[in-house]
Amino acid sequence: MAILKVDNLYKSFGKTEVLRGVSFSMEEGEVLSIIGASGSGKTTLLRCINALETATSGKITIGQETFFDSSNPNLRTKASDRRWQLSCGLVFQSYNLFPQYTALENVMLAPKLLAKEREDFKENKKEILEEIYEHAVALLERVGLSDRLNNYPCELSGGQQQRVAIARALALSPKILFFDEPTSALDPLLTQEVLKVIRELAKSKTTMVIVTHEMKFARDVSDRIIYMEDGVIEADIPASELSENTNSKKLRAFLGNIEG
Amino acid sequence: MGINPTAGQIFKALLEGFWVNLEVFAVTLALAIPLGFIISFGSMSKFRPLRCWDKSDSQILRIISKFAPIKLVTRTFVWIIRGTPLMLQLFVVYYGPGLLFQTPFRSPMTAVLIAFVINYAAYFSEIFRGGIEGISKGQYEACQVLGMTKSQTFFKVVLMQVVKRTIPPMSNEIITLVKDTSLARVVSGVTEILHGAYNYTRMGLIWPLFSTGLFFLAFNGILTLLFGYIEKKLDYYKG
Ligand SMILES: Nc1ncnc2c1ncn2[C@@H]1O[C@H](COP(=O)(O)OP(=O)(O)O)[C@@H](O)[C@H]1O
Ligand SMILES: [Mg+2]
Repeated sequence: MAILKVDNLYKSFGKTEVLRGVSFSMEEGEVLSIIGASGSGKTTLLRCINALETATSGKITIGQETFFDSSNPNLRTKASDRRWQLSCGLVFQSYNLFPQYTALENVMLAPKLLAKEREDFKENKKEILEEIYEHAVALLERVGLSDRLNNYPCELSGGQQQRVAIARALALSPKILFFDEPTSALDPLLTQEVLKVIRELAKSKTTMVIVTHEMKFARDVSDRIIYMEDGVIEADIPASELSENTNSKKLRAFLGNIEG
Repeated sequence: MGINPTAGQIFKALLEGFWVNLEVFAVTLALAIPLGFIISFGSMSKFRPLRCWDKSDSQILRIISKFAPIKLVTRTFVWIIRGTPLMLQLFVVYYGPGLLFQTPFRSPMTAVLIAFVINYAAYFSEIFRGGIEGISKGQYEACQVLGMTKSQTFFKVVLMQVVKRTIPPMSNEIITLVKDTSLARVVSGVTEILHGAYNYTRMGLIWPLFSTGLFFLAFNGILTLLFGYIEKKLDYYKG
């Protein structure tokens, strides 16, 4: 049973076709990396899967539920969109932390708001909030920031901010965690501390889709690699086959270009 | 008032006059801020009833499809209010109903307050619009992927950042408001401080007129300190 199934996804902005029939699926616990030249549609694909953008046509199923199906527009409701958002987590290239909240508050905000919708919130308020607090502290500890709980984003390095963003995304326990070039705004040293966190998540079988330019990292951390070019998937291979003598000619050319 | 009022009596009269200014100031501030927010939402409205012609082959229909009535109406309103003198607006609000519909305002003060609230709400709305539009798309998207609703996004994430950004332009506008309250005197029956002081010049006394300046200076001095304090309070984070 696939945890994510994307069927024949198309997306155009005006007259430019950015996605031209993208299909893939992944299993629970799998780590998938998406590589490809810039402009090939990787971000657009993640944004369509995360409901930030509405695909022109195609179908997106997460777990048991189809959240988007262009042949069945009545499928989408406010409630189903909400479930859709909550089943995905997304880590942005530019972190997008909330500047007025501390690291801890950034992580706790969404879970707190969500908890208020629970029927038993009034009765068990104290326990629920306590639980959210402890979960948030544990997550920040997991990304190596237990000594930065009460710092504001402006007091943190880029790598630390991105790790807070990862903890924030994990706080809602999404079925799948997506990363859009999580380290491309970081210098090499900070990149490593973020990649280390993602590696640990992979070890603990977090289902993840990672758009990245770090080839070595992609090969190490992923089970599978998808190579995109001009809005289509040109190669979908086991990570171990990511090398200069892979079958796909276009992927070979891409790898040749970035190595050379 | 006697023929030759004492300095104490004059000062007391000025103080009473300034109380009227403070009333206009407080009511305007309290009502124009929420109204300004509402107007700013209107001026950012993306409601387009004819958007179905977006992708039409006819260029005319494509242009018509851009028609956004709420935005158009609010922006026109803001343009008119900001583009004409507050004094003119005071006259229009106060005399307009009487001349047009034979139903004059019973209370001059109400007319003054209506004109001030509308005028300042228009100015505030542009400040708020700037503040809201200055929040990066990434903040909204971060909220969206965290499953937050639109109102949670606004109240829990956006609003605080807007407040921080708009404090400096708002403090400018609010200090201008304090001084503008003296315009209320053009509506007869509203004896704000300048109105009273002006009467004394006809008795040959100039110092009461100068002293009104001291009231404004003192009050704006307090406001300047207050805004400085708020800015400092909000300085605990950047961005
Ligand atoms: N909102 C948008 N409007 C118009 N064109 C867009 C938009 N977003 C992306 N594009 C275009 O889509 C193409 C793919 O972009 P993107 O998905 O960001 O690629 P990648 O992430 O692989 O670099 C680019 O040519 C880009 O200009
Ligand atoms: Mg991209």
